[in-house]
Amino acid sequence: MGDSDGRRDSIKSDILSTVADILEISPKDVTSDLAIIDDLPFDSLKLYELVISVEEKYGIRLPDEVLDEIRTIDDLVDVVVGFSNKE
Amino acid sequence: MSEEEQMSEALVRIFENVVLTEEKSLQAGYFKDLSIAEMHTLTAIGPYEARTMTNTAEDLGITTGTLTVAIDRLVKKGYVHRERDLHDKRIVRISLTHNGKLACRMNSKFHRVLAKHILAGYDEADRQHLLDLVNEVDEYVEQQLRRYDSSENVRATAREVAKDTGKEKK
Repeated sequence: MGDSDGRRDSIKSDILSTVADILEISPKDVTSDLAIIDDLPFDSLKLYELVISVEEKYGIRLPDEVLDEIRTIDDLVDVVVGFSNKE
Repeated sequence: MSEEEQMSEALVRIFENVVLTEEKSLQAGYFKDLSIAEMHTLTAIGPYEARTMTNTAEDLGITTGTLTVAIDRLVKKGYVHRERDLHDKRIVRISLTHNGKLACRMNSKFHRVLAKHILAGYDEADRQHLLDLVNEVDEYVEQQLRRYDSSENVRATAREVAKDTGKEKK
């Protein structure tokens, strides 16, 4: 349990930092409960920047059908944890 | 106008307008330095595993020689990474760079949004009916293509790649 929580925290922290980098905003302004499209200034290009960075880092595939179901950064973290466990 | 003429004109117009819209969206977007033929080459390579030149050329319906010229340009533009197989030096593997993946995903999104908007005007039953009819048309055209399939027969993408290559040489 502890290990999986630690892994989730590590993925969350990495994704938050990637989001801040791509959007060129302070990491302090990004929290995992924020809605990716509605609360953060993502356009399509920046969103795919995030998706591809995450795919490359964790060696997973995030097809558009999966992305359609993701609303918040927490949702993205859950999906990445789920997919990376399957690999 | 006969039904055949209406169908024929609509098919040609849809094909041309989709390609034209795609081209204009490229020119207006983030990937101005890519032609539509180059974008289709990136799509054929795909955003994930590295592919061989031979398989990619087969998918595009072009010769490996023509693909090599197109890949040279895409490598220079920073969209494609090319390397020799570690175990068999005769095999060249190509994959998309980070920017290549971005362009490929953005282009897929373009097609997805177009399809989404076309389907949005119909209720569920009509959407399914439309999809069934489009699939039948697609299957019939595929059958016709297979009748003529040979290394001499190239798809529209291949013609575009060849045309672009010709322009580059002049």
